[in-house]
Amino acid sequence: MCVGFQELRFTLLVYTINIRVSLGRYNDDFDDGEDIAEFDDNDFAEFEDVSEDPAVDVEKEPPPRAAPSSTPIEDEEDEATVENEDGQDEFEDADAQDQDMYSKYDNEEFEGHEKTNPSFKDTLIYREVPAHLQNSWESYYMEILMVTGLLAYIMNYIIGKNKNSRLAQAWFNSHRELLESNFALVGDDGTSKEATSTGKLNQENEHIYNLWCSGRVCCEGMLIQLKFLKRQDLLNVLARMMRPVCDQVQVKVTLNDEDMDTFVFAVGSRKAMARLQKEMQDLSEFCGDKPKSGAKYGIPESLSILSEMGEVTDGVMDSKMVHYLTSHADKIESIHFSDQFSGPKVMQEEGQPLKLPETKKTLLFTFNVPGMGNTSPKDMDSLLPLMNMVIYSIDKLKKLRLNREGKQKADRNRARVEENFLKQTHAQRQEAAQTRREEKKRAEKERIMNEEDPDRQRRLEEAAQRREQKKLEKKQMKMKQIKVKAM
Amino acid sequence: MDLSAKIIYKPPNTETNPTLEDPTPDYMNLLGMIFSMCGLMLKLKWCAWIAVYCSFISFANSRSSEDTKQMMSSFMLSISAVVMSYLQNPQPMSPPW
Repeated sequence: MCVGFQELRFTLLVYTINIRVSLGRYNDDFDDGEDIAEFDDNDFAEFEDVSEDPAVDVEKEPPPRAAPSSTPIEDEEDEATVENEDGQDEFEDADAQDQDMYSKYDNEEFEGHEKTNPSFKDTLIYREVPAHLQNSWESYYMEILMVTGLLAYIMNYIIGKNKNSRLAQAWFNSHRELLESNFALVGDDGTSKEATSTGKLNQENEHIYNLWCSGRVCCEGMLIQLKFLKRQDLLNVLARMMRPVCDQVQVKVTLNDEDMDTFVFAVGSRKAMARLQKEMQDLSEFCGDKPKSGAKYGIPESLSILSEMGEVTDGVMDSKMVHYLTSHADKIESIHFSDQFSGPKVMQEEGQPLKLPETKKTLLFTFNVPGMGNTSPKDMDSLLPLMNMVIYSIDKLKKLRLNREGKQKADRNRARVEENFLKQTHAQRQEAAQTRREEKKRAEKERIMNEEDPDRQRRLEEAAQRREQKKLEKKQMKMKQIKVKAM
Repeated sequence: MDLSAKIIYKPPNTETNPTLEDPTPDYMNLLGMIFSMCGLMLKLKWCAWIAVYCSFISFANSRSSEDTKQMMSSFMLSISAVVMSYLQNPQPMSPPW
């Protein structure tokens, strides 16, 4: 029996030692000076100082490490002991009792511990989660707006393109018969070498359609351009809301030299006439006077006339023409007949051009499509009488001839214009001639230098010298003659 | 109908008369390229978006005879500017106000 008790006691001892070892592992912050050796001598030494139940302490030691500061108030005194040994300073409490608790400690024992109590009354700052991590489409509203704008642009492009196409087709359908009866070649895009009739419009753009007609007496050819509004461009559509503009049909008839006499004439709306007089080369040179009101010739006041001479106006403005102009005055933008047509004035970078621009006998008609932008395909039928007027004009001008006086006046005008042009460009032409002469001399000198045979070289040099001498003599003669004449 | 010699259509020579040509598609093309480069280099999203719009406007105003390759390259450049600026910075665009 005594052996049994001793065994039991030994077992208890071992058990106690085990407990202490495991406790020792928890107490990592211990100074190794206070030691397991001490506890080995006196197993229950750690419990001696504490007034409370040792069991409570044993239980309490591991949890305070893991558990947060939720139970410091209840187990204050225990924790005070435990915390002292553990150094668990992070479980802070705003409570005053905690403050007292801390003030008991020796300041030197703890490093880096600040006695200041942070107040938990500061408001929590909520940092904003960046928008792209928020998982909400609402933050991308600008991008959605942009994409919507693009979609609107594309929709408008498709709708505008289709409308222009329908308008062009409607125009062609209503005019096809008239054109085919007057021209052998209707529709040519210029790609084939032979002149074959394609019978359809040539699309240059989403808003410009061309039609070339040829094969008729009295004219070389007729180019019809349907200049519609840029309905396919949303920006243009918005701009047109501020400033309404209409679709235009431009007809340009080029004539052979024998098909028209020499004159320049224009009739159209007042605004258009003022603009053309400034812009067009021939109108500015030959029709210097202000546009005259059309009322004198029986056409509406809204139209005005630019003419080289009165005889031309009288000749062009016959009754049928007056009838056309009166009944379709709103659709007529401008009508321009000219034998000196060279297009608008060209601004050249190097000052005046050295040569007169090439001219061609041309009839240029610009018609406004009714509707002021809101055109429907039915409106295209109303342009048919205007095409009749074009055909009539071609035939009429073939027969229109100026009398002798008119012809002389016209010739004088053309000579005057040419002379003015030559005067303006005189200096430049002189310079150009000088450079040409110098180039010639240089080329000749080079030729002489390159000549290998010395005899031949000498002979060429002599010939050049003789030529120079002759030129000088000629000049001197001329000067003498001028002096004599002056005297 | 009196017949006469048929003459083949010759397109008006716009090189001698540049005033006849509409400069809008060329300007828009150039603007588009400039904005694309700004969007790519300076990482500005709004530049890239404007470049896309410029490409669309240039396409809408272009002539039929114009090279489609140039249009396509302009589109691709502007779209790549948009994509690159969002890859580098996925945050949404902030309005200027």
